[in-house]
Amino acid sequence: MSFNTKQWLDSLIGDKPAGALPILSFPCVQLLGISVRELIFSDTYQVRGMKAVADRTPSLASVSLMDLSVEAEAFGSDVRFFDHEIPCVTGRIVTTEEEADALRIPEPGAGRTEIYLRAARKALQVIRDRPVLAGIIGPFSLAGRLVDVTEAMILCYENPELIKKVLDKAASFLIAYARAYKREGVHGVIMAEPLAGLLSPALAHEFSEPYVRRIVDAVQDDGFVVVYHNCGGSTVRMPDSILATGCGAYHFGNAVSMREILKYFPRDTVVMGNVDPAAQFVGGTPEGIRAETRRIMEECHDYRNFVISSGCDIPPHAKWENIDAFFEAVAGFSSGGAAGAPE
Amino acid sequence: MYLNEIAQGVEEGQAKRVASLVSQAVEEKTDVKVILDSLLDGMSKVGKKFKNNEIFVPEVLISARALNYGLDIIRPILTDTGVKPIGKAVIGTVQGDLHDIGKNLVKMMLVGAGFEVIDIGVDAEAGAFVDKACEADADFICMSALLTSTMAHMKSVIDLLCERGLRDRFIVMIGGAPVTARYAEEIGADHYTADAATAAELAREVLGKKS
Repeated sequence: MSFNTKQWLDSLIGDKPAGALPILSFPCVQLLGISVRELIFSDTYQVRGMKAVADRTPSLASVSLMDLSVEAEAFGSDVRFFDHEIPCVTGRIVTTEEEADALRIPEPGAGRTEIYLRAARKALQVIRDRPVLAGIIGPFSLAGRLVDVTEAMILCYENPELIKKVLDKAASFLIAYARAYKREGVHGVIMAEPLAGLLSPALAHEFSEPYVRRIVDAVQDDGFVVVYHNCGGSTVRMPDSILATGCGAYHFGNAVSMREILKYFPRDTVVMGNVDPAAQFVGGTPEGIRAETRRIMEECHDYRNFVISSGCDIPPHAKWENIDAFFEAVAGFSSGGAAGAPE
Repeated sequence: MYLNEIAQGVEEGQAKRVASLVSQAVEEKTDVKVILDSLLDGMSKVGKKFKNNEIFVPEVLISARALNYGLDIIRPILTDTGVKPIGKAVIGTVQGDLHDIGKNLVKMMLVGAGFEVIDIGVDAEAGAFVDKACEADADFICMSALLTSTMAHMKSVIDLLCERGLRDRFIVMIGGAPVTARYAEEIGADHYTADAATAAELAREVLGKKS
């Protein structure tokens, strides 16, 4: 059965809140009673985790793991794994122009990407009541992991040619990786480009936007959406550049005001955000997250294209009582149970 | 005179130009304290612009690199002539956390504010913070964390300071995306700041009050 992702996105725009689409996957470890390390090395656990989250929550879509180490690892980066935290890329594999030239673009399926692709395929067989979106990294964020995050930003000034060579290869891989997800039948990707959120608008325009655009042009169509995620604080100053990526929907972090950023986006484009994952989902209380969720929804309720979400990927050890309270607050608001809710 | 140009070179992140101007000033026997002040003046302007969202992280990074080019040239002269930093800070990202951008930014701002900063890197154990602070006779222990799961290790450092009877010897500052002022209060840290420029300003202010 073919699924029209564009129509689904359009259906989220309306007078009543459509529901919530948090970036929610890693907390499944608590539901399965496993470690993060076990989860990231097993497609079976990943599918069970996605299914467990889908069974427990009315999330508008099912989101696979937002593990921003997996693509760099496919290129050959070292990754450090933890029992209770998301993996992290260490060191750098490109320091010179020669190394940038010699950097091999891996095939989709290299390293753990094979596990993630298989998990997505299997998830589609067991989650049939909502779209399935895969988590992938954005091009500048991937290039940063290959050359070192701090160095990537310095290179924008001191050796733009080098970083562009790496960006070119990062984008080529991400196109192939997103296409592989598309072949599996996934309905789209959420592309995390947080490192671009630290750049000035001018640098983002030069070093992130064209590469994201290339990926979007290569993979996005009515059946497959690219959702742009950027949790950086600079996003509010570069809406034109972000919009120029042509992504089907946008997702922002809690470093910015949703109401402020919504002003810059067309009313027919879904924009999501931004309940603080650390302060609310992990460190908060059910009462606190209910209040914060309602606050954001009230603040944005006149934007029909707004969809409430987490501000970023929800950490593995987020409290499920808080996640449940978030969905309860959304349901209460959607049924007109909150002051200021649109009729 | 080169001094305004040195400050401007730092502000604009022109590392090679700063190095050349500083070398020239040294050759002409300019008072090293005056050269230092020019470098720090440039970085102070960078800090203000960053705090006001006029510039972004990459611009701070290249300015800090320019500052370091200049500092590397005058450091031996500063030592020989007995010019001391305004204070010392030990900085690191706590155990289990490999993120370093926030920590690096605070370090750069502290250096730009005239502090000597001893960077113990990422994934630093509680003992490393405490031992290094004692060894360097530091005024501050600055801790960074990006993950909610690792910020708990900030408390381990404070607990270790208490255990060794050293809590009052150091001013403890913390920061990082998931960290809040409330958390600082909960774990008994002295100060929390939300951004790198404010951290450097606060450190200067706190040290001024202490002395």
